[in-house]
Amino acid sequence: MALLSETTMAGRNGRLSALLGLADLKHGDRAPLARAVIVLLAAFTCLVVLASLAIGPISIPVLELLPHVPSYIVGAGEQVPDGVSARDWIVLMDIRLPRVTLGALIGAALAVSGAVMQGLFRNPLADPGIVGVSAGAGLGAAVFIVLGNSLLAPVMALLGIYAVPLAAFGGGLVTTLILYRIGTRGGITSVATLLLAGIALGALTGAITGLLVYVADDQELRDLQFWGLGSLAGSNWQKVASAAPIILAMLVSVPFLARGLNALTLGEAAASHIGIKVQRLKNLSILLVAAATGACVAVSGGIGFVGIVVPHLLRLTIGPDHRFMLPAAALLGACLLIAADTLARTIVAPAEMPIGIITAFAGAPFFLWILLRKRGLTGL
Amino acid sequence: MIGSVSRICSVSAAVILTAAALVLPGKPLFAEGTNHPDSRQIVTIGGSVTEIVYALGEDNRLIARDSTSIYPAEASSLPDVGYMRALSPEGVLSVNPDLILMLEGSGPQEALDVLHKSGVALADVPEAYTAEGILRKVRVVGEVLGVSPKADALAAKLEEDLAEAQRAAESRTEGVRVLFVLSTKAGRILAAGSDTAANGILTLAGAENATSGFSGYKILSDEAIISAAPDVVLMMDRHGDGDEDASGEALFNHPALAQTPAGKNKRLVRMNGQLLLGFGPRTAEAVRELSNHLADTAS
Amino acid sequence: MLHSTIETGTALTADLVVEQVSVSAGKTWIVQDLSFHAKAGEVLAIIGPSGSGKTTMMKAMTGDMPYSGGIALAGLEVSGLSPEVLAAMRGVLPQASQISFPLNVAEVVGLGVTGGRRDRHFRARRIAEALAKVGLSGFEGRSYQDLSGGEQQRVQLARVLCQVWEPIPQDGLPRWLFLDEPVSSLDIKHQVQIMRLAADYAKRGGGVVAVMHDLNLTAAFADRVLVMQGGRRLAFGARDEVMQAGLLSKAYDFPLEILTRPGGGRPVIVPLDNG
Repeated sequence: MALLSETTMAGRNGRLSALLGLADLKHGDRAPLARAVIVLLAAFTCLVVLASLAIGPISIPVLELLPHVPSYIVGAGEQVPDGVSARDWIVLMDIRLPRVTLGALIGAALAVSGAVMQGLFRNPLADPGIVGVSAGAGLGAAVFIVLGNSLLAPVMALLGIYAVPLAAFGGGLVTTLILYRIGTRGGITSVATLLLAGIALGALTGAITGLLVYVADDQELRDLQFWGLGSLAGSNWQKVASAAPIILAMLVSVPFLARGLNALTLGEAAASHIGIKVQRLKNLSILLVAAATGACVAVSGGIGFVGIVVPHLLRLTIGPDHRFMLPAAALLGACLLIAADTLARTIVAPAEMPIGIITAFAGAPFFLWILLRKRGLTGL
Repeated sequence: MIGSVSRICSVSAAVILTAAALVLPGKPLFAEGTNHPDSRQIVTIGGSVTEIVYALGEDNRLIARDSTSIYPAEASSLPDVGYMRALSPEGVLSVNPDLILMLEGSGPQEALDVLHKSGVALADVPEAYTAEGILRKVRVVGEVLGVSPKADALAAKLEEDLAEAQRAAESRTEGVRVLFVLSTKAGRILAAGSDTAANGILTLAGAENATSGFSGYKILSDEAIISAAPDVVLMMDRHGDGDEDASGEALFNHPALAQTPAGKNKRLVRMNGQLLLGFGPRTAEAVRELSNHLADTAS
Repeated sequence: MLHSTIETGTALTADLVVEQVSVSAGKTWIVQDLSFHAKAGEVLAIIGPSGSGKTTMMKAMTGDMPYSGGIALAGLEVSGLSPEVLAAMRGVLPQASQISFPLNVAEVVGLGVTGGRRDRHFRARRIAEALAKVGLSGFEGRSYQDLSGGEQQRVQLARVLCQVWEPIPQDGLPRWLFLDEPVSSLDIKHQVQIMRLAADYAKRGGGVVAVMHDLNLTAAFADRVLVMQGGRRLAFGARDEVMQAGLLSKAYDFPLEILTRPGGGRPVIVPLDNG
């Protein structure tokens, strides 16, 4: 009896491991497992998107509404489809759908940016925050929040609601370029210099932001505060339109970096020995990450920890191979951020909580855990 | 790195959040005074607006309020749709309102856009830190709710009440220099300048704002504190400012504050923040309470 | 005539030619006016005391360090070649290799399997073959970071072997192995095993350049030896010409003795007691 059940179990396990590619694991081939995980993540992302569209303070018949969406978008009409409550339609089309879309884009971009930075810096704790991209973007936004009504009023009038997002994007890019000039000598980027310069520049931008706090009036302070916490509240199609092109371009181009990032695991010299144009790889990675992070910070403020937590979780499950890790990170990042945002807008309904608080609550202990583990391994 | 932005901001800004609705000037978002006499599903945003609706006896038409609306006590039992500057459009829509009556400066704009698009009526109530400003708020609310006669009556009563409170206060508080401290986080004194609700209430109470030389709320240097030479320090009571260290004892240990007349005589007045800075129906009461405190401590 | 042209051409393109190479770090010269050549089909050992510029010379040859003078691999100046072209011509085994993320052994070795050879089964077979060559069969699923230093070194060698698997592939151009102290962290069995592997690669037509510390292994496996001292060439030539007690004693500034074993085995180099 015991024997029978054991063999049945073995048979079942055999089928399951074949399905998940666990048999290949013995030969060190994690690719089938990674593919299975990506398929599962993709399915899970669809579920999370559906759930997030369905869940909220107002209950709406999502499954009835969704079929109307494609024709509505194609028709680009302002008309609410027949037989649909106008309020439900607005909740879906003007509140939840742009919000879920933006959440997916930003979650994916943050996670992939983190993964690319970590690959580039060969350090699992690296994050766009570390090279100062987020700090620069933050400063750009702060400048416009505080000076937009006085010194920069003409620019503000010209750019309207895009002024702050664009300033964040510009700030991130300018910081990266300055960092790049400091960190690159003779065409060669020193990662250590870049990291240190990132910390220094982060402190400098922090100080300038602090200075702005002094000259800010109360309303500006509050805008700064809410913006700094990070939130997907206020998502609309305009924000989606302003962030999507940059983020999508990044997500599409980043798989081409995968082989190079894998090689970089061996170190810059060894990567070059196996044929990687390391300098070009570094240039592209930094540019893509700067652009995507700037876009994220611009529309959603500072949402932390996604870029560290997601790649780390994936390395534990499917291994560090960037060919699989990057797409998986995009999916898991999207899932997690949408889920966190769903929590953010339902947990204290009808009010809502800044999502940055939720990601920090989940992410900070995780970050410490990585630190402790890493210290155990490498005496960090 | 955003962390550092928010950290730096939070030092001075987080504390202000609680007082936010009370202090803010801003641009009007929607035309005031549109009539909605038939609205029976009203959400009020802004503590003073909510108080006025209650004072007009129209509170049976309220279905929800924002987190700054905590007076009268019954208001607290209404659903809370969040902080007036961080409204969630779906949260507001979920209580199924037909009118949102909001104090100037409510937002964010994106949320108001969606609410507007969904067909909910939005009415803006202008803010001003003067007696006339209060009366105007009452009249606007009355007009929007379609109860102008009641509002005019309330405004007349408030006007008289305020005038009387002011008259009574002036003789007792004249020349008293008051430093309004919003927070004392990390030993840094965040004080109210001109164009603030605190400045407004001090003016109404006949006292002198010791730091009227700048606009808004600023962190004061030690020398600025000494040269402000306040006779009295005014703060919101413990509940609300979230500040653990601002007991009188700790406050006057502040090296610069200790040098001032207020510090030497340990003169600290604490009042309920919503009452003090709300600029609503209870402001006359606030003027009386404040001037009593000031007269007590000044004598 | 035709025959000789082909001979000469092949000889030229197959060789590694180093002419008057100098490498500087700031104002100090680490390598100065160094000239030598290596032939495909041979193992060239670079020896010399610590700080004599061996590793720097290696870095110049692998394209990692700017140099003046000329380094030609198969007739092409190394400094003008892209990483991709260089990678097709030679593999490089670094001294020590820390990796930053927990790749397993198969993944590390697989990084050497490049080009169009992406087919999964081909990869798996090639990885297994390479691991077998370095004596690590069955290690595919092990975490690289958990291996001993010697095992890691052998895994890296397996990776390098995958990159230039055939010593002379169909294009007829010999491939090269550049090995920087390939046996420094290995036990004696694996030292010999790895040196045999290198010698076999050369025997099959490939070129091998190895920076060596162990003089006995050099004497046993090198065909040609370059002795460096203070960034310069002290001696260069066939093994038996160079591996002389007087020359080596001078190179290392320490008295060495060469013992010949009865029965015609390889000579053994030992330090001379101060007796």
